[in-house]
Amino acid sequence: MTLVVFIVSLLGAMAIGVPVAFSLMFCGVVLMWYMGMFNTQIIAQNMIAGADTFTLLAIPFFILAGELMNAGGLSRRIIDFAIACVGHIRGGLGIVAIMAAVIMASISGSAAADTAALAAILIPMMAKAGYNVPRSAGLIAAGGVIAPVIPPSMAFIVFGVAANVSITQLFMAGIVPGLIMGIALVATWLLVVRKDDIQPLPRTPMKERVGATGRALWALGMPVIILGGIKAGVVTPTEAAVVAAVYALFVGMVIYRELKPRDLPGVILQAAKTTAVIMFLVCAALVSSWLITAANIPSEITGFISPLIDRPTLLMFVIMLVVLVVGTALDLTPTILILTPVLMPIIKQAGIDPVYFGVLFIMNTCIGLLTPPVGVVLNVVSGVGRVPLGKVIVGVTPFLVAQILVLFLLVLFPDIVIVPARWLH
Amino acid sequence: EFNDRNIRVSNGINEDHPVGNGIKAMQACLDQKSGGKLKLTAFWGGALGGDLQATQALRSGVQEAVVTSSSPLVGIIPALGVFDLPFLFANAQEAYTVLDGDFGDMMNEKLEAAGLVNLAYWENGFRNLSNSVRPVTKWEDFEGMKVRVMQNNIFLDTFQNLGANATPMAFGEVFSALETKAIDAQENPYVTIDTSKFFEVQKYVTETNHAYTPFLFLFSKPIFDSYTPEEQAALRECAVVGRDEERKVIQDLNKKSLEKIKEAGLEVNTLSAEEQARIREKSMVVYEKHKAEIGAEVVDAILAKLEEIRK
Amino acid sequence: MQKAIDTFYKLLELLLIVLLAGMAVMVFLNVVLRYGFNSGINVSDEMSRYFFVWLTFIGAVVTFRENSHVGVETLVSLFGRKGRIICMILSNIVVIAVSAIFFWGTWKQSPINASMAAPVTGISMLWVYGIGYFTGAGVVLIALERLVRLLTGRVTEEEIAAFAGENMTLEQLAERT
Ligand code: NA
Ligand code: NA
Repeated sequence: MTLVVFIVSLLGAMAIGVPVAFSLMFCGVVLMWYMGMFNTQIIAQNMIAGADTFTLLAIPFFILAGELMNAGGLSRRIIDFAIACVGHIRGGLGIVAIMAAVIMASISGSAAADTAALAAILIPMMAKAGYNVPRSAGLIAAGGVIAPVIPPSMAFIVFGVAANVSITQLFMAGIVPGLIMGIALVATWLLVVRKDDIQPLPRTPMKERVGATGRALWALGMPVIILGGIKAGVVTPTEAAVVAAVYALFVGMVIYRELKPRDLPGVILQAAKTTAVIMFLVCAALVSSWLITAANIPSEITGFISPLIDRPTLLMFVIMLVVLVVGTALDLTPTILILTPVLMPIIKQAGIDPVYFGVLFIMNTCIGLLTPPVGVVLNVVSGVGRVPLGKVIVGVTPFLVAQILVLFLLVLFPDIVIVPARWLH
Repeated sequence: EFNDRNIRVSNGINEDHPVGNGIKAMQACLDQKSGGKLKLTAFWGGALGGDLQATQALRSGVQEAVVTSSSPLVGIIPALGVFDLPFLFANAQEAYTVLDGDFGDMMNEKLEAAGLVNLAYWENGFRNLSNSVRPVTKWEDFEGMKVRVMQNNIFLDTFQNLGANATPMAFGEVFSALETKAIDAQENPYVTIDTSKFFEVQKYVTETNHAYTPFLFLFSKPIFDSYTPEEQAALRECAVVGRDEERKVIQDLNKKSLEKIKEAGLEVNTLSAEEQARIREKSMVVYEKHKAEIGAEVVDAILAKLEEIRK
Repeated sequence: MQKAIDTFYKLLELLLIVLLAGMAVMVFLNVVLRYGFNSGINVSDEMSRYFFVWLTFIGAVVTFRENSHVGVETLVSLFGRKGRIICMILSNIVVIAVSAIFFWGTWKQSPINASMAAPVTGISMLWVYGIGYFTGAGVVLIALERLVRLLTGRVTEEEIAAFAGENMTLEQLAERT
């Protein structure tokens, strides 16, 4: 019954347009009242204690690193590098988009920012080369959502803190599934464009190729610093984030000289605002999560699905379907924050590896960024690439299907995630 | 005169910690005394928030109980810092005598003034040092070692005073920081070194016994005051039953954990009596530095009591 | 009056920049000190967390004013103008209620936080947890002003469109992932 109160109050508030953070607070208030323990201090204390966590400091720093990367010209050089490498292949610009998306994913954690940078540069180029524009836009959108799966990733940090799972392990476990997503997209792309009449780019001369690689080298150094730093033990994920931000600042200002000191306040302010939006949501979710725990809601759900507890694969399948459905209407961070406290006790009880679950869960919420009616990355591509939203939705469909297939492949064969994760950690 | 009560007990540690056994024993005692009306619902692994957050919730009457180490609470009751002083107790028996006697009662009064009823002193136990760099058998060995400590000034000063580079770090980050050698060392009871798998990423352990921190079984005073005298008495008595069980289990487990650590191939060292005395002597500056903020009368009282026991 | 309000928000934005930059400097300095010089500043770990709390809760007010908080506009966007206005009224009432509760809880919790000192820096925790006063009051004021305009028919078409999730800027979209 508490479960019903939780769902109805939360969905009801969101449906009439209350922002998700305030809806979570509202749901918390209703739960308190229903449980006969109304106390305003529960709201105040849990809200603020939520932000008082050192691990979460990685979020503003990775956001800042991403903003600095775009403002400092790092994204542009990564795309140039990808063009020099694979631009001349048939269907090459699509491969360029995915290659650049994967590299950018290993630097930034934001799907929207990566997608915007890719769409702004590549959609006009692809249109000029004769590619179907909505399909190209769809591919870029699908490539953009790899960002939170490959580390660094705000989504992993939020999940790791909410679920009490090692962020370093999540980061390492995300690499291979992220790459598989990229490979699946390239394969799908080559399949759908095989009959199209396209003009491949001329092969880049060797000299120019070396030049583009040289220019991109500083940008390509960033994933090495982030992952290498964490792996080699110089830094914790939080510290890796701040090192990444300082590195992006240095490269943008000193090496590429595209970032001017006067741009800096604007870049920092934007990162601060993005941080506030995400963190306020995290804090509000911790209020409802405290009450979910205190009310023992997960055990109520376990009661319903107890027949599935002994069949982890089937359980994962069902949970992934639920997350897909939730993801159609809810953005990435709220999905993670609302479902984690409810699902984690069940996952633990079923004996499913929490890191494996985390990777699939995040991958699934990323797919949610591509599913209408609420698919933020679709809106970004539509806005930046000036392609009507309806056409982007049509264009993204084959790639969306490919990613869902990858997801369920990983449900059936958990070792694809678990084995390389163990090897990398 | 027993009402149906659901008592939520927050724990930062996991259920497999001896506190879990203590809570079971306490529940059995409560069942017997209250006819099953007083129910403890334990939450593990910080599910209801960190120890400090839970303690604040107790003070405001939001939540019933928490089992927490004394160290994080010095911001609320500075006198509790006395238990963080290095090399205070020489063995567990000394600690029991002091905590379960007048001195413990005096500290309980200070807790009550802050809105917290301490039902009993459970055991977190003696803390020992593990590291991945070199065997530590004398204080010079601490030189330059990167040691993770709790966010607590007395611990910071204790290790800095010994020449180590004391780094405060959240507990959840310790394992990977040790594994990747971002830090060299950490200090915790054997049980924690075992259950948190720190021994997998460390080479040396030294039985420093540098601090004995008690667990406090704290109850919210606003809520406790609303209970009937019979309920209050049952809680106090059963918390003692739980304490005895928890102390017994943790003592056994400490031995088992040490065995496990040895089996894992770690080199285990002890400090010689002379070295122990030397380090204690060197650490007296930490006592002096923190005496005022802990309260001179508290420090003097515990030292006097210890002297009396040791006679 | 409007000018004073705008200046106030400019100051808040400046504060946000200082807080984020300050956090970055403190954490980065500690990495350099620890890795390069095998030392560290104990207060920076704690202070950077408090900066983070202030950044979050001051930023929450600034972004609330800009309608940037993540919402689900699916249902609302299906309604006509009148339906949207009714939803806006209800939504603002909910926001006012929960923010007032946040403020109230901060007030009731104040003596408890005031009597607790931060472990390393020793500052009163009221400085940290007291930020609930600012956020609670700030959001209530903004939402009350909106509510008054909604009830007196002075709401702009732009606001209604923003409420239904239309015309979001790229920055606002980025804040959602
Ligand atoms: Na990423
Ligand atoms: Na969606």
